[in-house]
Amino acid sequence: MLIPALTVAALFGAAYMAFAVGHRTPARVAIGAGTATLGAAAPPLALGRCTFAAESTSVDHVLTYALMAGGAWLALIVTRAVFDARDGTREAAGSSMGGEIRSGGFRLGWWVPWALLAPTLAILAVFLYTPAVQTFTLSTKLARLGAPRTVDVCLTNFSELLIQDPTRLVLYPLLAVGAVYGARFWMRRTEPGTWNHRFAEVASVAAMLSVFVALYAIFSPGGDGTVKYRPVYVNTVIISVGIVAFGMTAGLAVAYLAFQKVKGATMYRTLLIWPYAISPAVAGILFFMLLDPTAGIISNGLKEWFGIRMPNYRESALLAQAAIIMASGWKILGYNVLFYLAGLQTVSVDQVEAAVLDGASPWQRFVHIVMPALSPITFFLLVTNLTYAFFEVFATIDYMTKGAPAGATSVSIYEIVRVGVDNGDLGRGAAQSVLLFAAVIGVTLWQFRTSGKRVSYGGG
Amino acid sequence: MSKLRYLALVAVFAIVAAACSSGGTTDTTAASGGGSDGGGSDAPIEIGMWIAFSDEARLGFTKDRAKEFNELHPEYNVVVQEFDSYNTVFEQAVLAVDSGEPPAIIHFFEAATRQALDAVDASGNPVFKSVTEAVAGRDAILGEPVVLDDVVDAARNYYTVEGSFYSQPWNTSSAIMFSNTDMLKAAGVDKIPATWGEVEAACEKIMAMDDAPKACITWPNHSWFVEQSLGQQGELLANNDNGRSGRATEVFLTSDGMIDYISWWKDMADKGYYIYTGAQRDWDGTSNAFQAQEVAMLVYSSSDTTALTEAGDANGFTVEASFMPYNEAKSYEGNLIGGATLWLLNGLDEKTQDGALAFLQFFNNPENAAEWHKITGYIPITKSAEKLLDDEGWYEQSPNSKVASDQLAAAKDTPATRGALLGNFVSIRDVITIAIEDILVNDLDVADRMAQANEEANKLLSEYEQLFGG
Repeated sequence: MLIPALTVAALFGAAYMAFAVGHRTPARVAIGAGTATLGAAAPPLALGRCTFAAESTSVDHVLTYALMAGGAWLALIVTRAVFDARDGTREAAGSSMGGEIRSGGFRLGWWVPWALLAPTLAILAVFLYTPAVQTFTLSTKLARLGAPRTVDVCLTNFSELLIQDPTRLVLYPLLAVGAVYGARFWMRRTEPGTWNHRFAEVASVAAMLSVFVALYAIFSPGGDGTVKYRPVYVNTVIISVGIVAFGMTAGLAVAYLAFQKVKGATMYRTLLIWPYAISPAVAGILFFMLLDPTAGIISNGLKEWFGIRMPNYRESALLAQAAIIMASGWKILGYNVLFYLAGLQTVSVDQVEAAVLDGASPWQRFVHIVMPALSPITFFLLVTNLTYAFFEVFATIDYMTKGAPAGATSVSIYEIVRVGVDNGDLGRGAAQSVLLFAAVIGVTLWQFRTSGKRVSYGGG
Repeated sequence: MSKLRYLALVAVFAIVAAACSSGGTTDTTAASGGGSDGGGSDAPIEIGMWIAFSDEARLGFTKDRAKEFNELHPEYNVVVQEFDSYNTVFEQAVLAVDSGEPPAIIHFFEAATRQALDAVDASGNPVFKSVTEAVAGRDAILGEPVVLDDVVDAARNYYTVEGSFYSQPWNTSSAIMFSNTDMLKAAGVDKIPATWGEVEAACEKIMAMDDAPKACITWPNHSWFVEQSLGQQGELLANNDNGRSGRATEVFLTSDGMIDYISWWKDMADKGYYIYTGAQRDWDGTSNAFQAQEVAMLVYSSSDTTALTEAGDANGFTVEASFMPYNEAKSYEGNLIGGATLWLLNGLDEKTQDGALAFLQFFNNPENAAEWHKITGYIPITKSAEKLLDDEGWYEQSPNSKVASDQLAAAKDTPATRGALLGNFVSIRDVITIAIEDILVNDLDVADRMAQANEEANKLLSEYEQLFGG
């Protein structure tokens, strides 16, 4: 099945170069076919073609084709970027101004920039790229520390996280991607301001949500020797979205209040940034001390003064998730306040004054002037907060709930540590961390493509 | 300008090169310093001991004993290093063996015994060595009398694998029950309940009181208590006599003993007698609930006997320890140990190994073992230590401290009470506690959920055997 798949990739690459990119030449079409084939061939070759072995399942095949498609897509994007850059330089060189703004070069030789970059690259290679490659290798193995051998398991560590039905596995993601592109097409075909366009906007939001639903549908709900990963996915989405939404809304609100001209504003601002200086573990301990039904301060207060017994937040999924969101959101609050305070100082005073003269209410000024002016910061915070929510919540969860009740607060990163470190199952831990890595890349790309367009950096 | 640039470049390279080479030299000196001979004749030989206790009492005790040993044996320097968990100690030790600077002694918990026995370094040599083999029949090492033969039976039986007493047991406990006897008396319960039925009857009375506590009883959702109950009921957790007559290749999470215990547990929770603190392995939460008098009874590790008894005194109630309640429908076979043990690293040179062995014997000599028992509640690990405490009148003064030893001594020696030796035991314990949490929180059918857990656990075990077995 490898050869037919590669042929499809080659044809697609040629077609893409022929129709989607400007400056169509036979050479470019050939190069497109070539790079697409190489990109598609890379994943199965890196895996030693194990997914095509006799004992591999159809789910393994689906995964392999997905990886091949991803490889081809990546190769084409890079190729296109290279050609676009060339065309761009040529056009620039052709125009009258182009000759003068040629980018600078190193007169000593081509090796100088590399030599200057060498220390950074060496550190990256040792501490980042090598472990990353090792994680990828490890994710295809059954391995434990201190074991005399490892066993190659190909993509089992990944495929066991998914439903074991190849049809649905292909169908749901394709439907979601189709919905996203369909909605985008509709948006382009309609005029902004018309009802049709508004419908298209609603449809595109729905299409985005359908991606989450499709992912929900393809992760395994457990049973049949699979890993029950669907709850982990759901928890991760709920808790991450919760942290980002709470952390950023509260951050903006607090920053806006602290920005008002009041007595001692500098002191408030300094104090508000403090939570950022504590570690997620300490945040976990603090909220544990507050919320614990037996040893907690709040429960003691309620009991002493009102005779109320506080419910145990670890016994209800909803309360436990809310507690984690609150603790983590509070922890990142200082960081968000810091950036929003800095951002608020760049909001044009003239515009605000003009709006006051035009009779805009404080709320209107906030929505129509302040928020758009803060959009670059919001975008930046969205990325950093999401990364925080994905990676840094481990310690908070470990102190507050340890994943309880019944795994309702076990998010992706918590599960990775539980499986890979506590249980010593290195292969599965590595596979799940590759998945998280892919998720972060995916979400970040998506943010760049969508929010990136609406971000205003001023100056038109 | 360009000359300056060249100079700058050269300087950068020089710095990088210097950093690399100096890094290299420190590595080599460190390696030779950590090596066995220790260079000069005056320098004491370093005995690294890595333990998983970082609290003041237990770490402090260990460091004090190391200091005393170093004064007695100036040719050695025992260095105690603490880590935050057993797993970290083990991982770091295995990695250190491969990088060439391992400690001599590490601290690892009972359920990981199979994992420790199976561990090999990068060249395939075992990471640990049998303490009995290293002692090689000597009565004393560097003047420290060997206490291995004196170790209480329960601990010796647990850590004896294929006829060899492999490691030196240290902190050893059993699961026992602590009762708030004031609360029991107030409810009209005069005798501390000993069986499941008696516990239930007592709970009915306690919860019927006007000032009833939040719940009647609790214990952590830790697989250890499940294993204890299986021991009491004489049921095996795994095949091949709990992995003791051969490697375990199958676990039994759907045995009658298992289902009965978890069903009773769920029943107690459904009636509001048992309170689940909401988290797995929640030692702190359950202990706090007992100390705050939110429950009348606590099934717990005997390791905290001293602390819990004192907490009762401090909060104005009497704490009485008793055997862990058992299933009266079955004959009682006995409880098993828990805790951790000290492993000797393989491949030490003779002098270092003797130093390490001598320290292990000194560390567990009657006086030290008795002192360790007093400050914690872990059982006195040798018979001489027990006798010493008895002669001192310690047990009359603190009768709670004797319960765990008595309970272990009362156990019959069978594969069920010796406890299971299992590969991937930590993950399998996780499977068990996750299933129980699911049953308690989501109100699931015990047999169905345990059948699913059984499947998962057997998969984990077979994967482990693929990596380590024959």
